Amino acid sequence: MSDNVLIRVTNLSYRYPRTKKYVLKNINLEIKKGEFIAVMGKNGAGKTTLCQCLNGIIPNSKRGRVKGKVEVAGLDTQNSSIAMLAQKAGMVLEDPETQLFTTKIKNEIAFGPENLNYPVDDILKSIEWTLKVVRLEGFEERPPTALSGGQKQRLAIASVLAMKPEVLILDEPTSQLDPIGTLEVFGVIRDLKEKYNMTIVIATHKSEEIARFADKVLVLDNGEILAFDTPDKIFRNTDLLQQAWIRPPQVSELANYLTQQGCKIDSFPILLDQAVEMVDEILEAKRGVDGV
Amino acid sequence: MSLIEYYPGDTFFHRLDPRVKIALLIIMTLVIFAVKNFLVIGLIFATVIVLWSSAKLPLYKFKTYFKFLFSLFVILIILQSLFYGGNTILVKPVIPDAVPLIGGSGKVTMEGLVFGFLISLRLLTLVALLPLISMTTPVHLLALGLVRLGMSHKIAYTATTTINLIPTLQAETRTIMDAQKLRGFTTFEDGKWWQKMKAYPTLVVPLVIGAMRGAQLMGVAMDARAFGTSKERTYIETIKMNTADWVTLALITVYAVAALILNFVVL
Amino acid sequence: MSEYAITIENLDYTYGHGVYALKNINLNIKKNEFVGIIGQNGAGKSTLLKNITGLLKPTKGEVCVMGTNTRDISVARLATKVGFVLQNPDRQIFSSTVYEEVSFGPKNLGLNNDEIDERVSFALKAVGLSEMKEYFPPALSKGDRAKVIIASVLAMRPEIIILDEPTSGQDYLGCYQIMDIAREFHRAGFTIIVVTHHMALVAEYAHRTVVLCEGEIMMDDATKKVFSRPEELLRTYIAPPQITQLGLIMKDRLGLSEAVLNIKEMGDLILEARK
Repeated sequence: MSDNVLIRVTNLSYRYPRTKKYVLKNINLEIKKGEFIAVMGKNGAGKTTLCQCLNGIIPNSKRGRVKGKVEVAGLDTQNSSIAMLAQKAGMVLEDPETQLFTTKIKNEIAFGPENLNYPVDDILKSIEWTLKVVRLEGFEERPPTALSGGQKQRLAIASVLAMKPEVLILDEPTSQLDPIGTLEVFGVIRDLKEKYNMTIVIATHKSEEIARFADKVLVLDNGEILAFDTPDKIFRNTDLLQQAWIRPPQVSELANYLTQQGCKIDSFPILLDQAVEMVDEILEAKRGVDGV
Repeated sequence: MSLIEYYPGDTFFHRLDPRVKIALLIIMTLVIFAVKNFLVIGLIFATVIVLWSSAKLPLYKFKTYFKFLFSLFVILIILQSLFYGGNTILVKPVIPDAVPLIGGSGKVTMEGLVFGFLISLRLLTLVALLPLISMTTPVHLLALGLVRLGMSHKIAYTATTTINLIPTLQAETRTIMDAQKLRGFTTFEDGKWWQKMKAYPTLVVPLVIGAMRGAQLMGVAMDARAFGTSKERTYIETIKMNTADWVTLALITVYAVAALILNFVVL
Repeated sequence: MSEYAITIENLDYTYGHGVYALKNINLNIKKNEFVGIIGQNGAGKSTLLKNITGLLKPTKGEVCVMGTNTRDISVARLATKVGFVLQNPDRQIFSSTVYEEVSFGPKNLGLNNDEIDERVSFALKAVGLSEMKEYFPPALSKGDRAKVIIASVLAMRPEIIILDEPTSGQDYLGCYQIMDIAREFHRAGFTIIVVTHHMALVAEYAHRTVVLCEGEIMMDDATKKVFSRPEELLRTYIAPPQITQLGLIMKDRLGLSEAVLNIKEMGDLILEARK
């Protein structure tokens, strides 16, 4: 594996036990160190299954038929233990309730490293730094049940970071959260990318956040990769958006609408300030015409 | 809030080594089922209540549980009076002895009535004892206690995590009942008991489906945190039996022996 | 008959220990309004809905639904006036077929078989699941499970329909299908209340928006008006939809007086300005 490729998926197909239909079909994929990858697609497209393949939950604890190969940080998931994989690929799930097991926040964070038999001093240090990363300093002794949804998800992120993984996989981490919770969680994810250069794979419908943070978007439909490209290329491809039933940021939708109406757009917007420029340009063009 | 969830505090009972609390639970459970004298069980029940207040646990919470238990006790006492058997007949059989096969059934005996009360009192004491342990011990310490007593970490942790699920299940039950009321279903409020019995599946089915879904997700989350992957495991907390713990353990033993003597020798 | 579907006067609600979940709520909703309720978790949205549907009774103040005080009517009876679709469909499916699930309510109302059949057909048609009567609900997709629950509530024939977070966990397709069902019923004369964290949906569907913050009504106005006051919304950490934000930034350039709520509206304004 070349130095900077962290995850390599080769010809991966997968079906769950006792089913005939493959939920992932011939997936080929490379993710580089430090990349931020968003996975999009409608419910049932295979996002969760792909996430669980990337950290080895499939096939290590969920059986089924696997074809092809997944390598994470040099480990082949099919013949590596969950303990080894947990130290390479950390996973945060959708529901904040089902992934917290303890009665004190410090024990929650310690749970993973304790299972991995890390020395106590190391664990105590990780508790301190992970709480800082997710901005929950001073919460060590509190019970997780007293936290808001957004705080719980940040704690789940801290609990996974404590195992020092090289890639963080988040499966719809904000779909159960309120707006403030969503804001908080994406704030932490942004820090992980910008300050700690963490490799991140996130399945989410939140296209406006994807536009801000993602280097590339992976579009899944019916278990297949429809596209794997930069956000602006994905969000301007109206056929693709329609086929995969994904919603681009509203400003991109606006640009697509204007294009349909015969407006010429030079630089395609995916962010609000880019849209402001776009509208300015359209109106400037008008002034230009007026001037003639 | 649940009767079983950890109730933070800094009392003697909260600080007690989890192993001593586990010993208390096991020893007292055995004693409760060994003794037959109402006075002795009554005494044990009173002791448990005293311990509740020493641990500053909210006694009023017991009321709601008693309401639920009360109906169970009534059923138990009725069933035992009818079917336990015995010679001291309080109410003559409904069906005369002459009738073949079912003749003689439907009588109420004193022995049955007494036994019904005894079982009820035992259950009541046991139900009061459990929260004394679960409410004063954080689950990770309870698990650690079990591990130090020789149980495998995986089993200890799975068992104690189940305690955590109880409040969630209670909340889910309330939601399901709300959903049913909203669809015109009022049996749980104003139905007769047999109607309620018939209606339980509508409550249990979504609860079980939900719990299974939850357990599956929790399994994935635990795997992702390397749960049960290695034999050796570190613990950031340590538990150590100090003098007070040993003394308490001795006191519990003395108490248990005394109760047995009181029951079998004195009375 | 009064023009109001719901009237709420000086409503306080406390969950014991004197902590106010709702404080002095005054809210009147006219028949055939489409109201969005937004606010963070813990702002009191669910408590408010439970007070409207009688699951909770006011600590202080009065709640009347279609002219009846919620204290004077059972939850089950009230459910024939106001249908409440709770969050998370999986907690509300008790039956082994879609038909049984949807007929559960009408059966409880003691209707005869013909009428039950008719109501189930009507409700399943409304959510587009007519062909799925015999399906096992847990085997359906998340979007379809949500629709089964909506149908089950519709089968009670309420005049007011309340949806609590109907789009949570749904994908783009599911979100719009569910909201379109609500819109259809609104057009047919029903009163609709939707609680959601999805601002773009509120902007697109609700004509009036109520913002709750810490148990109190912070804003209550036409959706266009509410989303034209981003500074106020920011106090409870809510941002208007992106397209509305764009409109607010370009307000002067495009000569706008009101918030823009959807893509087409914004696009047409730009095309207009270009001409």
